[in-house]
Amino acid sequence: MNGTLITNSIAIGEIILCVVALSCLLLRKQGRQYKVLCLLIGFRGLFDVALLPLYMFGGYGIEKHLAYRLYFYGFWSGYAIESLLGLWLIYSVFNLAMAPLQGLKKLGRLVFCWAAGISLAVALFSALTPHLTQMSFIVNFVSQLERTQSVLTLCLLLFVTFAIRPMGLTFSSRVFGVSLGLGMQATSQLVSAAWTAHFQGMYTTINAATGIASCVILLLWTTYFALPEPKRRIVVLPTTSPFLRWNQISQALGDEPGFVAVGGIPPELFAPAELEIMRRASIKMADQPKVVMPQSQTA
Amino acid sequence: MKNIVRAFVIALTLTGAVASAHTVKTNSENVKPTLLAGFPTPMCPPNDPNACGMGGNK
Repeated sequence: MNGTLITNSIAIGEIILCVVALSCLLLRKQGRQYKVLCLLIGFRGLFDVALLPLYMFGGYGIEKHLAYRLYFYGFWSGYAIESLLGLWLIYSVFNLAMAPLQGLKKLGRLVFCWAAGISLAVALFSALTPHLTQMSFIVNFVSQLERTQSVLTLCLLLFVTFAIRPMGLTFSSRVFGVSLGLGMQATSQLVSAAWTAHFQGMYTTINAATGIASCVILLLWTTYFALPEPKRRIVVLPTTSPFLRWNQISQALGDEPGFVAVGGIPPELFAPAELEIMRRASIKMADQPKVVMPQSQTA
Repeated sequence: MKNIVRAFVIALTLTGAVASAHTVKTNSENVKPTLLAGFPTPMCPPNDPNACGMGGNK
């Protein structure tokens, strides 16, 4: 079995797995809850179907230089879109995981938006090098975006794994399954990015390895969505739990404050009934004998 | 079970961190991103005279 045959089989296998995973998600009626995951898998499936003729018939039915150029631009544009969808998916998984802790969810969303915005800006500006070419811009932008996205994904996976109990989840929950798949994808991308420096060409071991990793992740997601999900547990936290405390603090953050009038209020602002209550109260206070406080208490 | 999953997640994170550090150390011109997809990543420029080996197998 030669390298080309393996790569071709992986490419076709990925398209089939995309269809299976998407069907599983939709049949389980999870399309609304995991709409970004559906979009990502659907986009990858379509992207693969579009690239398949170029890849299979480049140099055979289509002139190979033209086929490679089309493949190159199609591949990197699709990759950039997929990276942005990946960021959106991390955000949506975080929202699903944090559903019971609304305060922390609000705070986390704010932090995430800043982190994602800075990642995008850093990726864009680091791609603008002095001797800018189309190739270097695309590759630098995408590699930087991929690296920051992978780091964010691993942070999310660590958070979901270690804070799984306060969120009412288990390791069989779909939120954890999606996070685990994303984490495996991030690690594989980081490892393969370090490895690709030693390879040149299309039919390499690294390409076959990343293809297999992609298929394994799709299989993992299919398994999680095919199996019934355990119900989310009622979140019971001790009163001393830092999650509870920070959730309460976060819920209060950013709320509109109340206002108290402290002086200089004209009497016209009050209703007649309020004025009457105040008048009676002041008469009552004037009639009461003054309480002489003991020296020790007044001091 | 819980500890196995946690150990796996920590191993994933550490592997990612080591790989990321290696990528930063390596000359950035040699490092190219790899999309985790079933299709091979085009690692040559678009005007490559050999079309990056595409169709060479035919």
